[in-house]
Amino acid sequence: MEYVLNFREVDKNSLSQVGGKNASLGELIRADIRVPPGFAVTTDSYQQFITETGIKDTIFQVLAEMKPGDIAALNTASETIQGLIQGSTLSASIKKAIDKAYTQLCDDCQVRAMPVAVRSSATAEDLPTASFAGQQDTYLWIQGVEAVVEKVQHCWASLFTPRAIDYRVKNNFPHEKVLISVGIQKMVNSRAAGVMFTLNPTDGDLSKVVIEGSWGLGETVVSGSVNPDKFVVDKVVMETSDKTISTKHIACVYDPEAGKVVDADVDDEMQCTCCLEDREVKALVSMGKLIEQHYKRPMDIEWAIDKDLDFPENIFIVQARPETVWSQRKTRSVIGGKSGYQLLMEQAMKRIKIPS
Amino acid sequence: MPDEKGRFPDPHEMQVPPELDGWEEMYPTHHLFSKDRADWEKAQFWYQDKIHAPEPVPPLDLIFQEAWQISLSQYTTRVFCIPPAQGIAQRMVGCYLYICAIAPPPDEIIGEKAALFEKRVFYVFEHYDELWEKWLTKFKALGQEMEDVKIPSELPKFVPDDEVLPAPTGYYDSYTLLESFDKLVNQMFKGWQYHFEMLNLTYLAYLMFADVARKLFPGISESAIGKMVAGAYVSMFKPEEELCRLSRLAHATPVVADILTAESPAAEKIATLEKIPEGQSWLAEYDKAKDPWFSVSCGSGWFHHEGSWTTNLDIPFSYIKSYVERLARGETIERALDAIGKERDEIVAEYKKLIQTDEDRKSFDGAYNTIRTIYRYAEDHLFWVEHWFHTIWYRKIRQIGKLLVNRGMLEQVDDIFMFNRYEIPQLLTEVSTGWALGVDIPLRSAHYKSKVAKRRSILAAAGKWNPTPALGVPPEEVAEPFTIMLWGITTDKVQEWLKGVDAAQEGDVSKIKGFASSAGVAEGPARVLKLLKDILDLQPGEILVCPSTNPSWAPVFTNIKAAVTDIGGLTSHAAIVCREYGIPSVTGTGVATSVIKTGDILKVDGDTGVVEVIERVG
Repeated sequence: MEYVLNFREVDKNSLSQVGGKNASLGELIRADIRVPPGFAVTTDSYQQFITETGIKDTIFQVLAEMKPGDIAALNTASETIQGLIQGSTLSASIKKAIDKAYTQLCDDCQVRAMPVAVRSSATAEDLPTASFAGQQDTYLWIQGVEAVVEKVQHCWASLFTPRAIDYRVKNNFPHEKVLISVGIQKMVNSRAAGVMFTLNPTDGDLSKVVIEGSWGLGETVVSGSVNPDKFVVDKVVMETSDKTISTKHIACVYDPEAGKVVDADVDDEMQCTCCLEDREVKALVSMGKLIEQHYKRPMDIEWAIDKDLDFPENIFIVQARPETVWSQRKTRSVIGGKSGYQLLMEQAMKRIKIPS
Repeated sequence: MPDEKGRFPDPHEMQVPPELDGWEEMYPTHHLFSKDRADWEKAQFWYQDKIHAPEPVPPLDLIFQEAWQISLSQYTTRVFCIPPAQGIAQRMVGCYLYICAIAPPPDEIIGEKAALFEKRVFYVFEHYDELWEKWLTKFKALGQEMEDVKIPSELPKFVPDDEVLPAPTGYYDSYTLLESFDKLVNQMFKGWQYHFEMLNLTYLAYLMFADVARKLFPGISESAIGKMVAGAYVSMFKPEEELCRLSRLAHATPVVADILTAESPAAEKIATLEKIPEGQSWLAEYDKAKDPWFSVSCGSGWFHHEGSWTTNLDIPFSYIKSYVERLARGETIERALDAIGKERDEIVAEYKKLIQTDEDRKSFDGAYNTIRTIYRYAEDHLFWVEHWFHTIWYRKIRQIGKLLVNRGMLEQVDDIFMFNRYEIPQLLTEVSTGWALGVDIPLRSAHYKSKVAKRRSILAAAGKWNPTPALGVPPEEVAEPFTIMLWGITTDKVQEWLKGVDAAQEGDVSKIKGFASSAGVAEGPARVLKLLKDILDLQPGEILVCPSTNPSWAPVFTNIKAAVTDIGGLTSHAAIVCREYGIPSVTGTGVATSVIKTGDILKVDGDTGVVEVIERVG
């Protein structure tokens, strides 16, 4: 049993141990994609935690007694369980393992008390057929082992938010079957960040990569609180067919005084400045193509550009999961099985309307 | 300029600058807007044909336009019968050519045409290679026939004995002269009949493939489609290949290389080469390559004043000079045609991999094979007709011009191009008559010479005028394949024109849009060239802005950063060459030459089709 596993040690077969997000980071490393270094606190740690603290039985009992459809009961159950998880003390063995891995990470990156992102990674999350995206927690800019451990427990607790419980009930996912791992990853000091799809989400065009990005952390793009810059690039000929620069009023950034991530106003002249250089766009597209080839399916990717590093070392992929909207649609023929001559005849009969 | 209803000027009320007074008499009256046809003409949408006539058309050069109006149209309407499409009509306004795609015919005609289309067109695709061989054989024979037309170099004082004894030939130079011009005109018309033999179908197949590609990949760019289809076909690349071969020969023979890289005129180089055995054997190779491959116009082939490599030896010799110098520096001079083909195949394979169903992959293959079967025609015919055949025509016409100069009718040989094809028989008849009448017979030389002077000044004035891109009422629909593909006329285009023209008046256009026809982004100073001959002004590193570009400007493309044109779709000759040379281009902007000034700093984005004026000159 391993309490922690470095991302380099995991792959898609580690899903039950490290959850979807973490397994996918391991896969990305295997595909030679630049991913911020980090490690996973395994589902074994979680299991052992709820077992050795003796809270396991209480948790499932509370859930079992909850009346379906009763919102007040749902909220109470959630509160009780989250309180139990956050309030119990982590055993020395698990804590030691986390401490060791975190210290090693700091040493590897040559940064003391290095800021990290702490993210939950559930075992039923991010599967192509069940998008749990956004249902577990992410904590950014966490420094020091005490804070890391605290956030690990928060992440575990996030498995029992009212929404997550409700989702599982509605979709008939047994609560016991969903386990949770936590990823601890070097924080990218991001100048710009966002998402990338290896198809065009608006029309399903598989020959396109669509990138959306904004200043600061990617949270503003993911949450939709900012109109991002948008780039549509052809995968084959690598031409940018659409480039939209939006007015980006706010950026999600780490405020060292407040010690947390805040929405900051963006300077006037930066608001309409493109958040990515052309070469960065090209490099991201190349990475997107590699990731798609590795997974053999269209992907939904999160990326960040580190302001402390030079191109191309500054480009990081922080997350990749299978695209779920278009991929679930039944593939059907668009041309309708027509031959070259039938198509030619059709073209010959065509008139292009010019509306007045 | 367009009115508030989004209409362009009425062709019957269009005003031309006063300096152009008298322009109408240069052209046949059927090429002018006329009262008889006013109702019909006012209802059509006429746009300036900057592809074939980017500059004012000299009277005799109108023959090519006259010939294509008939030929292009008949293949669509009467030969291969593209069901809803009709022909393209032409009119001249102030020395510029305007054209219009005619609205679809009644439904019963469309039905009849559909049946004929099916029967005739598929046959062509199934037998393309064989038909191409036949085409080339008959076309070469026609060129030879034109070459063989006998044109008297001078009218003799007395016909020679052998034309009288032992039996009179019965007809003499007075007749031969008239006959020779008629023959040349007929051959030109026949050549242009051949020109469109498979071209309409090529364009139709291209549009079909583009449509399939867009259905499979909704956001696919025009340039990506172009990259899948266009290839490095033999004919248009052969002249350059031959130059490379001759340059390699010279490089292997230092004494020849020294002569060819000297800073001296071509004629002097040839004279020097003739004096040494190595030079003579190089010249023998040069002569072998010359016919047909150096019968290539310095421009599009549509204007007599462009000249060809054979009339401007300094041009091929300057290319050879730079190639030999590059070889001396150890550089490669040949373009990697194989690599271009390989890249194309890889692109096609990659897109194909992205197709989701076997059924669609099969349709894609069907569509792709259809266009690939015929597409080479778009590039091959160009060399043989516009370059080789036109070069012969200009040479023969100049022989007639020379005779007219000798007879005192014209000042210079090229003055013959100042008369249209209906007027030249009058000049020739007058010359023949004068010769026949005897000695000391006055001709109306002054009359013709003054016409030449007047017409030259009208053409010069027209060159400085920037007429509206369109006249009349935009149509509700377009079905004619050339209109869509070659001129890039679509709804968007018309809207852009309306906008561009509007804004140009305000003088505040800093961003214009066209087809993203060759990828990449470039910044640099603009060089606006409205006349092809001004190409000499172009400086290395400038961005070429012109009505349309042409593949035979090949070496120019190695010097420019990007190209922007007023007119031209994605498979316009400009777009193809820019892609081959890897230079960004935006074609079909409609207004670039009127909105941009030489010296403006431009940003040309060949990925998005946007041209931005970053900084105005002065």
